[in-house]
Amino acid sequence: MTARLFLQVMSMEARRRMSYRVDFWINAVAGFVAEFAIVWFLWKAMFAESGADVVAGFSFEQVLVYYVVAILVGKLVRGTEFDGQPSEDIYQGGLNRYLVFPAPYFGMKYAQAAGALLPAVVQVVIFGAAWWLISGGAGMEGVTPTGTAMALAALALANMLYYMMAYTLHCISFWADNVWSLLVALRFATGLLGGLMVPLALFPDGLRRANEFLPFRNLFALPAEAFLGRTSFDAWLEGMVVGGVWLVVVTAVARLVWHRGQLQYSGIGI
Amino acid sequence: MIDVRDLTKTYTVHEKAPGLVGSIKSLFVRKKIAKHAVKGVSLQVPEGEILGLVGPNGAGKTTLVKMLAGIIHPTSGSASVLGHTPWERDNAFRSQIALVMGQKAQLWWDLPAEDGFLLLKEIYRIPEERYKANLAYLAETLDVTKHLNVQVRRLSLGERMKMELIAALLHDPKVVFLDEPTIGLDLTAQRSIRDFLLAYRETHKPAVILTSHYMEDIERLCKRIVIIDDGGFIYDGPLEEVAATYANQKIVTAHLKRDGMARVDRGALERFGDVLAADDLQVKLCVSREQVAEASAYILEQHDVADLNIEQEDIGTVIERIFAERRKGRA
Repeated sequence: MTARLFLQVMSMEARRRMSYRVDFWINAVAGFVAEFAIVWFLWKAMFAESGADVVAGFSFEQVLVYYVVAILVGKLVRGTEFDGQPSEDIYQGGLNRYLVFPAPYFGMKYAQAAGALLPAVVQVVIFGAAWWLISGGAGMEGVTPTGTAMALAALALANMLYYMMAYTLHCISFWADNVWSLLVALRFATGLLGGLMVPLALFPDGLRRANEFLPFRNLFALPAEAFLGRTSFDAWLEGMVVGGVWLVVVTAVARLVWHRGQLQYSGIGI
Repeated sequence: MIDVRDLTKTYTVHEKAPGLVGSIKSLFVRKKIAKHAVKGVSLQVPEGEILGLVGPNGAGKTTLVKMLAGIIHPTSGSASVLGHTPWERDNAFRSQIALVMGQKAQLWWDLPAEDGFLLLKEIYRIPEERYKANLAYLAETLDVTKHLNVQVRRLSLGERMKMELIAALLHDPKVVFLDEPTIGLDLTAQRSIRDFLLAYRETHKPAVILTSHYMEDIERLCKRIVIIDDGGFIYDGPLEEVAATYANQKIVTAHLKRDGMARVDRGALERFGDVLAADDLQVKLCVSREQVAEASAYILEQHDVADLNIEQEDIGTVIERIFAERRKGRA
């Protein structure tokens, strides 16, 4: 697949996604406000109940900043969840048109997914700027250009890794009539073990150490911690290597599932 | 261009007993059934030919098209399209074919058609000059130039199908699969698409496989047809010979003068064959070839006939009767 085609598909999907203004704002505002409100009330109660100023190395202010960054990272990592998913193509026969194109299906879908990220990028810029203005940068003293660059690299890896995990589950649609429950389970597991629901510092030591060898930490915690300057370069590098290895493994599994699955495909829908 | 040998496709489907108990039981044990969608068919289509694939729903037409377009894998047999095995999906193969599905939109619904065409230009790597020339030719011939920048979802069904045809033909495919291209369209749009396809065949000479439930599509566009039923071919040859081979009935129509000699006796006519119409103005019978002379003589003798017409059954009726007789035979 040529870079030009990738960009063209990406641009087309971005334009398609941005053409629905009401959807964009509902998704942006309602999603962010709901997630942030839950976090605020929960942690306000936890700090009040414990009477402590610092919990698991976070002050109340710092934990709020962590969540704002993690939620925005989540938008960039999961922004690839969009309509026209591979499972939908398989169920409804939409895959047919891609199979007759002289271009790889995965490449076309990933380019579409990358295009679907544009609204998420716009949302991140809007909410990031708004938070900065409201908080005056409190709790973000650790942000540096190096940390930002490390976070962007971790973010790119996280996006690919999450997409490949979801893509593998989507390909199970070749056999199963519905993979929705698997995708919900993935969303929950990655949210919990990836540090989106609670900072990983709150996990027991054993689980935290085990989690360092799993792919989940790479998805939300690593980019967020790198951005906030809460991780060392060595720890970041170690995380990137672990994430890279998992990306190779998940990609190999996805290829296998796709290869076996497409032999089952019956092209329903025409 | 297209060479198919003993191609077979068998699907495994699960059978489930009816009712709640059957549903619960099927969670643990399911009976597998082999469904033979295409049974060892062979076929060749040369350059410039439009082959009509005719058959009732579930006959195997679309499964055959899907295998030849490389969408699904066959169970056994071989096929060569432009020298390639379709289901290996080489880019060299996919760059030279097109598939139009009347019941399934290919274009991007939320964007103007031209945006979709620009993407196809990249997918098929069509040079700029050729893209512009092809788009201008196709849009003008199909009379949709003024709709190119309208969102696909806002187009009428006919305009949308024309856009689908443009999308399929922009890259000058050498083999085109048309699956029900006129389904649901009004008569004017159907005619316009048929005229376009005939003109396109003359200028570009692609090999085309056309499936349609509209006999007018087949009669207008195809000189050769394949009749498929229950996964197998039951006829492969010239369209005009279908009637000669299968039509053993003729339609005898007599228009009567108002002061006819006798009232029409329906009972007497029924001994010759099926009475399609019988009133003071017209007698219309469907009779076997052997009965034509006798039936005509009877009508001329009994009535004051203004004119008498003896014609072959139309092709659609012949094909429908073939399917009906086969269904009856299987029952």
